[in-house]
Amino acid sequence: MFLAKLWFFLVALVAAVALTVALVLPRPAQRTLVAEEQQRLAVACGVIDILLGDDARNRVELAGAFARTQEIVTALEGASSAASIDEARMKQVRDVGDAVMKTIQGSRKPDFAMLIDRRGRVVARVRLDENDFGDIAAGRPIVDDALAGYLRDDLWTQNGTMYFVSAAPVIKRDPPIAYVGAIVLGHQVTNALASKLVSSLNVDVGFHLGKDDVAGSKTLSLDHVPLLDAVKKLSGGNDLSQDCQAQKPIEISTGKEDYTAVVARLPGEAAVKGAFYSVFIKRPAAVGFSGTLKAVTQSDLGFGSFPWPIVGGSFLLILAVGIGLMFIESDRPLKRLAADAVQLAKGEKERLGEDEHPGKFGSIARSVNINIDKLGREAKTAKKDLDQLLGPAPDGSLGTIDLLATALPPSRPGGPAPAVAPPPSDFRFHDPGPGPAPAPPRPAPPSFPRPGTPPPLQRPGTPPPTSLAAPMSLGAAGPMSLGDSLDDDILGSGPVTPASDAGSAGNVDPYFKSVFDQFLSVKKSCGEPTSGLTYAKFSEKLVKNRHDLMAKTGCKEVRFTVYVKDGKAALKATPVKED
Amino acid sequence: MSLPFRLCLVVFASLAAPGELLAGPVVGKLELPPVPERPPVTTRGFLDRTENPLAPARGVVVTPYMIVVLEGAEKPGSPGQVNWDLVGESFSRPVIGAPVGAEVVIKNTSKTARTLTAAEDPKLVPAGPINPTGPKSFRVNEVKVYTIGDADAPHLKGKVVVVNTPFVSNVDDNGKFEFADVPEGSYKLRIFYKDAWLEVVTDVKVEKKGKTEVNPKVPAFPAGKK
Repeated sequence: MFLAKLWFFLVALVAAVALTVALVLPRPAQRTLVAEEQQRLAVACGVIDILLGDDARNRVELAGAFARTQEIVTALEGASSAASIDEARMKQVRDVGDAVMKTIQGSRKPDFAMLIDRRGRVVARVRLDENDFGDIAAGRPIVDDALAGYLRDDLWTQNGTMYFVSAAPVIKRDPPIAYVGAIVLGHQVTNALASKLVSSLNVDVGFHLGKDDVAGSKTLSLDHVPLLDAVKKLSGGNDLSQDCQAQKPIEISTGKEDYTAVVARLPGEAAVKGAFYSVFIKRPAAVGFSGTLKAVTQSDLGFGSFPWPIVGGSFLLILAVGIGLMFIESDRPLKRLAADAVQLAKGEKERLGEDEHPGKFGSIARSVNINIDKLGREAKTAKKDLDQLLGPAPDGSLGTIDLLATALPPSRPGGPAPAVAPPPSDFRFHDPGPGPAPAPPRPAPPSFPRPGTPPPLQRPGTPPPTSLAAPMSLGAAGPMSLGDSLDDDILGSGPVTPASDAGSAGNVDPYFKSVFDQFLSVKKSCGEPTSGLTYAKFSEKLVKNRHDLMAKTGCKEVRFTVYVKDGKAALKATPVKED
Repeated sequence: MSLPFRLCLVVFASLAAPGELLAGPVVGKLELPPVPERPPVTTRGFLDRTENPLAPARGVVVTPYMIVVLEGAEKPGSPGQVNWDLVGESFSRPVIGAPVGAEVVIKNTSKTARTLTAAEDPKLVPAGPINPTGPKSFRVNEVKVYTIGDADAPHLKGKVVVVNTPFVSNVDDNGKFEFADVPEGSYKLRIFYKDAWLEVVTDVKVEKKGKTEVNPKVPAFPAGKK
């Protein structure tokens, strides 16, 4: 079994390794997935930055076009030359601005416009705080730059709203060329703008002012603490364009869903108020082993994509090796042992072959042989006990063979069969008999009577046995003498005549009675006294001896034989097996 | 002459105590160097600013960032008030001068409330917002330069230059300045630009009668300085 055990160990080891691999393999895949998601996030963040730049460029161009409108130039030229701005002028300029705004085509129409004269005064506002005018807008960097002749963009915040603003100088192109003011266009940062930005990126974006959400492509209640921490870490760098690449993605939660996000600071005036945007995606669920299994599709298991021949072949090889080793080390030796045991049971062998069976099977054979030896010793002991009880059997006599006074068997049971079959003796102690009828006269025995040996007893109605070749337990057979001890018992009971004994024949066993009669006859013939010998005592002794013998040998019945030993009557008990 | 400039002259004239040594005004014009280039943007948007294709960009206007003082034996007696308007996204002048002990009164003429603080002394400006049309005043008792601003509007900054003389003058767009009723004596004319005193110092001798004229030459501004 060593090889089989080793094989099972190897199979179990391989199975454990395979299980470990199956459980561990999803983890690198998960990490790869997360890394890819993070990379995608960083790329999306960079793309959004580019898109915002492109949008700013478009807005600046729009502001330039707006500022070049002749009506705007004329209106601001007039305002710049005025000592003060009154409401009438404001409305006139506002109407001009509103009319120009209506001419703007495309999806990026500004949400407000601010018309500023050469001195930096706000002449009019269009579509936002329309009634405010006359205040000084100069001082804001974008306005100062526009008044100085530059086009640029910026981010403003007002009342929690974020605006992408762009400005352009208003220049009177008719000679003499002169700056007459500036215009500022504002585009509110809205959910629609955010959605448009990420429409092709498969991510979401949110615009934030510190801990306040301004707009987003997805309405989520995000945890701002990690976002603000990430922004804080970015504060050291001055190049905002590197924000998307300069950080590790962070994990944020809405309470119900988890997201991975990157943040990037927004430029301009809004930066002072902590403006930033976040790009986030839903965090991929941890796949794990079961998740991997769930993700398996039918095509994954197709013959074209899965090495079924290798798997099947490996399985069959493992199975064949296992079965082979089991057959070699277990099944075949067990079969041999079983066959050996059958031979032992049939008597074809006295012992199991110990060297023929390997390993544990040899141990089993040795154990069985030890038990056989033990039983043999116990049988010998039982024989000695019977000899002590009944006296030794006549020399060369064994069992009923001696009783029948036929030829002695050449050997013990288990040896070669006797050359001449012994007379039949299949008497069964408990066989129901027809009654206490005397044994029928036996025909001339075809045997070889021993001198002084009475004819064998035969149960009435029992056909004569044809053979005594069946093996008998050697230890179970043994002479039993009723000599002294039996005689003492009988003598001790007082004179009892056979007639009086016969009078108590209500419990008379015919077999015991016949044995008794024969024993009495032999005693008389030997000239022994029979005055104290009663059937009751005799049968009681026989019953006791029969029980003792049956208990010791396990036989089913006991046969008693009367014979002469040393000129005296003797009795021998023979255990009889059923077969 | 602009309105703020005239107002300053009135203030300074009232600050100058009349006495036996009254003389004429001191006038002059700064010889300004070439206008410096516009400094790089401090709050860039998504894009860098670009010049328009129609006209050259205007240079930096430096005079609003300049004040001229005459330092002599005369010390501020009764400094009075210095008015300073908050006109929107900026002060009426980015730099003003104030004699020691003067009360600076800021008036918010814009429509936006501001919370002003002095970077050099957080306790200088009384706490609380200055509402539209509302004033906020504080007294300057130390010769020092204060930077007044609003944390919510980084672009909104103004300098209050506290000097130990009653003779302080702004400079108009052409570089002209004027001190009214300067007593006879010897003075040193100093120029403050943006956030520091220029190294040039001009000796001025004021006669008993008549107008004294001085035209100091301003050295070139450092590159990139607004």
